[in-house]
Amino acid sequence: MSDPMFDVVVVGAGPAGSAAALTAARAGRSVALVERGPHPGSKNVYGGVVYGRVLDELVPRWWEQMPVQRWVTRRSTMVMTDRQALTVDVRAQAWGGPPYNGATALRADLDGWLADLAQEAGAVLVPSTVATGLLRAADGTVRGVRTDRPDGELSAGVVIACDGVNSFLAKEAGLFGGRTGARHTSLGVKETLALPREVIEERFALRGRDGLDMEILGCTRGIPGGGFLYTNLDSLSVGVVVGLDGLAACGVRPEELLADLKAHPSIAPLVRGAELKEYSAHLLPEGGYDTMPELAGDGILVAGDAAAMCLAAGVWLEGVNFAIGAGMYAGRAAAEALARGDTSRSGLAGYRRLLEDSFVLADHRKLRRAPGLVFSERMQQRYPALLCDLAEEFFRVDNPRPKPGLRRLLRRGAAAHGVRLHHLLSDALTAWRSFG
Amino acid sequence: MLVAAALRCFDPHTAVDPLTGVVREDPHAGRASEADLAALEHALRLAEALGGRCVAVTVGGARADGMLREALAAGAHAVLRAEGPGHDGAATARTLHRALLARHGAPDVVVCGDRSPDHGTGSTPAFLAARLGAAQALGLLELSPGRQGTLHAVRRLDGGRRERLRVPLPAVCSVEAGGVRLRRAALPAVLAARRAGVPVLAVAPPAGAQQVRTVAVRPYRPRPKELPAVAGGTARERMLELTGTFVPPAVARVVRAEDPVLAVDELLAFLRTHGYLKEGGR
Repeated sequence: MSDPMFDVVVVGAGPAGSAAALTAARAGRSVALVERGPHPGSKNVYGGVVYGRVLDELVPRWWEQMPVQRWVTRRSTMVMTDRQALTVDVRAQAWGGPPYNGATALRADLDGWLADLAQEAGAVLVPSTVATGLLRAADGTVRGVRTDRPDGELSAGVVIACDGVNSFLAKEAGLFGGRTGARHTSLGVKETLALPREVIEERFALRGRDGLDMEILGCTRGIPGGGFLYTNLDSLSVGVVVGLDGLAACGVRPEELLADLKAHPSIAPLVRGAELKEYSAHLLPEGGYDTMPELAGDGILVAGDAAAMCLAAGVWLEGVNFAIGAGMYAGRAAAEALARGDTSRSGLAGYRRLLEDSFVLADHRKLRRAPGLVFSERMQQRYPALLCDLAEEFFRVDNPRPKPGLRRLLRRGAAAHGVRLHHLLSDALTAWRSFG
Repeated sequence: MLVAAALRCFDPHTAVDPLTGVVREDPHAGRASEADLAALEHALRLAEALGGRCVAVTVGGARADGMLREALAAGAHAVLRAEGPGHDGAATARTLHRALLARHGAPDVVVCGDRSPDHGTGSTPAFLAARLGAAQALGLLELSPGRQGTLHAVRRLDGGRRERLRVPLPAVCSVEAGGVRLRRAALPAVLAARRAGVPVLAVAPPAGAQQVRTVAVRPYRPRPKELPAVAGGTARERMLELTGTFVPPAVARVVRAEDPVLAVDELLAFLRTHGYLKEGGR
């Protein structure tokens, strides 16, 4: 095979792809960044939270440049039934100043910004181009990608597949080991609702660029999943994420779940009078650590959603920061392998080591049981109702009857909702192993 | 032979806050409309067929560079971005004209999209034709080289009819979207275009000259429906008849005639009943 056209070809200009291209280009490598849409972020569905610590390493003082909607100074976790809701609400005003904990952002803006950084570092963006397959050397080593353009072969020393949840490149490279299917895939549906900035600030007790990130459990009619509500500058992002298997088995349309959520007594006042600006849907890989593919093959690395690096662990719903971290380490590992002249699977094994030493795989490994716990029937249906009933009874004033004790309320609620003591102990143990 | 494709870069997602008037633009979303892409494809085909050069030109800021690079990748020999007045059709035409003359000379053919989706009036080609002293043909579905140094064009007319035109050169032609699709650029051309620089030419605004200016833009207001005058009767009766106040509303009637002849008879009877066809008329 003749000399490759690029040192690195990155497929997909999402957060993982742009971070990989940026890192490899900064290392002095020639990089092509292939994007399916007409511009980065054009086909993404996102109005969510970016946790910026990983950006400290990639873009110093990123908060001065990143297109931010609001800085997250409130994080709420809500469990709900049809008629009840119980919220744990954390406000930390320190999160509203540098170095910032998290921010709400729109993917069209975020992806464009990251891709611009990659281009400024020297990467060549190739938009409106679909990578349709892998190019291989005679020994099977990946040596580039085939695209849907005429004369569309892009040869490279290393291919970094960041082509999203349905990564055809990772599958073609055999990194999933024959595992396919929708079992660990969720569908997220989201509405962007426009509200005046002042109304948002008044309703959510915010001011300036402060923002709220709310995660919700128990809003999906028992289908494994959850909901969310994020505040943008002058809009809200409201949505639900549900497992595909459960959704198919239940026969409910996802927009019905979203309508339910918006009509819930605890959510309806927050979205009242808002104007629907956008409705969108996207698949998410929420299986966690145990569903990840092999992360490196001969001449290929995989990062971001393509590598199932999306964490659905109840209070932690993250993906973008893992994608940015994985992309950054993939770009670094590719540059190091190219410098050594060994882009085989073993030559690229440094990628996994970098991930293991960082939060990306450390968090996923630590929380590998969390998706199973969060998506379990008890966590989805029984515990929200039990917690809401417990809170309702605890805060009810029934004078002149004497106040019941918490233990009695718990026993009564557990019996009413079919929760046995050994269930509680088992789930508490799993939770302790995951989050402890 | 110089064939120019005059393109316009627009943002399909530009949002205007109705209260504050603040415009929110996506800096990455600028692109050519479907009609402009069809114009570029026509320009490329004409340049190939006539053995000429194709230049893609636009008026705008740096956001238009991506669109021009796409034109370069698709096969345009050169691109040019003019920076200057472009607030209406006349100003845009003037800026385009000046830039083309300064950089490439007078074009033999200019192909434009029939109108841009961002409230475009489609007047730029007419102003451009006036400045170039060129023939103008608009609303074209087809455009190809004709005999004896002319262009052959097909234009859409009302009622599904088509008009064939022989357009002398120089010419300014505006084409509709849908006639053709822009060719898919080859990957090496895309890579070369991504690295290519986009030449920019600044065009100064006219100094004190009398220009046609847009002084007001109002919402579209359709003309009132014309009703035949009512003869005789009192003013009240004429008013009631005009407004149809006491006339019972027509009830929709669905007729299923198995025989086509019966269906035609039914239609003719309806037209006669409602005065669209005279008794015995055809």
